[in-house]
Amino acid sequence: MRILIIEDDMETADYVMAGLHRSGHLAEHVSDGREGIVCAAGGNFDAIVIDRMLPGTDGLTVVKTLRSVGVKAGIIFLTARAGVDDRVEGLDAGGDDYLTKPFAFSELLARLHSLARRPPLSDVETILRVADLELDLIARRAKRGDRDIQLRPREFRLLEYLMRNADRVVTRTMLLEKVWNFHFDPKTKIVETHMSKLRAKVSLEGEPELIHTIRGAGYVLRAPA
Amino acid sequence: MFFGRPLRIFRTASFALALLYAALFAGSAVVLGCIVYWTVQNSVDRQLTARIEGELQLLEVVLQADGSAELVRQVQQRVVYAGNLEYFLADVDGKRLAGSLPEATRKLGWSDIEVPDQQNRGHTKTFRVKTKVFDNGYRMTVGDDLAPIYEIRRAFFEALIWTLAAFLGLALLGGILLSTLFLRRVDAISKTVAEIIGGNLNSRVPLRGTYDPFDRLSASLNRMLDRIQLLMETLSQISNDIAHALRTPLSRLRHKLETALIAERNSESNKTIDAALMETDTILDTFSALLRIAQIESGTRTAGFGNLDLSNLFETVADAFATVAEDEGKTLTANIAPKVTYWGDADLLSEMLANLIENAIKHTAEGTDIEITLSTQNGVPVAAVADNGPGVPDQHRTRIFRRFYRLECSSGTPGSGLGLALVAAVAELHGIELVVADNQPGLRMTMSFVAQPPKQAEIRDFTGLSLFAEREKSVPLQAHAVPGVH
Repeated sequence: MRILIIEDDMETADYVMAGLHRSGHLAEHVSDGREGIVCAAGGNFDAIVIDRMLPGTDGLTVVKTLRSVGVKAGIIFLTARAGVDDRVEGLDAGGDDYLTKPFAFSELLARLHSLARRPPLSDVETILRVADLELDLIARRAKRGDRDIQLRPREFRLLEYLMRNADRVVTRTMLLEKVWNFHFDPKTKIVETHMSKLRAKVSLEGEPELIHTIRGAGYVLRAPA
Repeated sequence: MFFGRPLRIFRTASFALALLYAALFAGSAVVLGCIVYWTVQNSVDRQLTARIEGELQLLEVVLQADGSAELVRQVQQRVVYAGNLEYFLADVDGKRLAGSLPEATRKLGWSDIEVPDQQNRGHTKTFRVKTKVFDNGYRMTVGDDLAPIYEIRRAFFEALIWTLAAFLGLALLGGILLSTLFLRRVDAISKTVAEIIGGNLNSRVPLRGTYDPFDRLSASLNRMLDRIQLLMETLSQISNDIAHALRTPLSRLRHKLETALIAERNSESNKTIDAALMETDTILDTFSALLRIAQIESGTRTAGFGNLDLSNLFETVADAFATVAEDEGKTLTANIAPKVTYWGDADLLSEMLANLIENAIKHTAEGTDIEITLSTQNGVPVAAVADNGPGVPDQHRTRIFRRFYRLECSSGTPGSGLGLALVAAVAELHGIELVVADNQPGLRMTMSFVAQPPKQAEIRDFTGLSLFAEREKSVPLQAHAVPGVH
């Protein structure tokens, strides 16, 4: 992926750049809003990571400008502003995701991946398949091989999200946001308990495990090697 | 303007004042009227008596000068002319010699007598008469009709009634007019205050430039608002500064620790770095929670407000925590009436409910039952999170919403002591009345959603995500939801 980072804090920029290079992505960095607009409009990036508070032109304006000139790249706001309305403002301006500083790099990476592979809104896909796991989105049915899996509505959504992001790490926060629509950090293990229930239903004893925990990062659903 | 809400006008101070003035004026008018009446009446009375008295003296003089026959002749002559006084002259035996007054009065001196009315059969007229026995033994009575005095009285009372009616009418009209003007000014101030409470700090009370007391009051209010706005802006600026000045270095610290964790293969130092990372996260969490609470408390953050499906929100949150409770050996049941809506921020309300439920899960023993209810009572959504755990002692109930306040018994459990402070802030922002009560045994937190929503009709879809939103609706309700509960 080609990723543009618009961030005035060098330390954060270096940290993100280093992480992205380590994960095999191409990353470019500019530290000012105006430069960011020029760079993003000209350079065909897959994703843009932008600080909300920038010297010169602020992040919101940059994103609004980019969207108005037709830049389609996924945009993630990265910001120290964790205000109640800040996320709404960020998304209204045309951002796709909003991540509050400080953040774990794994979180940013997972969100970038999720952004980049978002399919171009094809509603054609009505059955999701990973290995022998099948999810029928119309009939609301899950099957592992020939075995029917009884899922509660929220478990269905959780599995659907994992399957749509198959082979990609999804973080706990992403799951809270996308499956439950919770934009806060619960102090109890909501994701963990639901995940362990789902896991027990998806893989009975003897069946190969499909949902894996990635320590310090999140979960991934993938076909057994 | 005032026809739409007459009751409000009658309740205003200005209307009451107008009425009071009207009553005072009416009172003085009555007093003044009475004085005038008595004066006029006395004067007419005196004139009447003086005329009768004069006539009697004149006739006595006639008798003394010209004798009895001349007296009789004079009286007979006078009776003929209309508009004159009335007479009755009797001789020593009481036989009528002249005059038309009935022989009704034998009493000497002044008296009022009833006389049949010649023009108006069946009616009588009242006459004031004076009777005197002259030196020759004749009894002379002279009298006059009292009708003019009655006429004055009648005219006077008629005038008084009209005056009073006019007074009342004018006072009512003036009161309504005055109150309308008064209310218009008060409404302007109320509207501004409502806007300020609603988060629009730029709103000001309009001035008329007339320097009347209202203008002066409005100007003072505006100066106060300027000051408050300045303070709020400073606060928000400071919050942002703190956010930027502290979050950035803390972020760097976190990044460095994370990088160290990746680089370090030694499992002992890894543990230490892990612990340091967690401490950093705790500091950051507490710090963000404080900033968030302050922001919510400022009441200006309402961009995320919409008309939302409260039932759906409650079901989602209850469902999310049911599994967690089960894992901790507790039962969480939900009793949620469908289609309850409220004006608010879905994110904040979810967080509020989640905090209350987490509180119930964290501070109770295994085997505790936790119940979440939502219903509509008298048109107001009412919700509760109740458990049968240890509860909160009476004297602590109001304090648990303070920042960093923790009960001694809960100091062993993890937590920042900010969860309930956030709950209180969100409740305040949404006009939710929070009541902490004894569940006998346990704790019951009741939320009454009493605020009136603004008039927008847009329903915000809480499920929000286009990816799922459409299909979610075809899924049957959660296992615990009981439809039709009221």
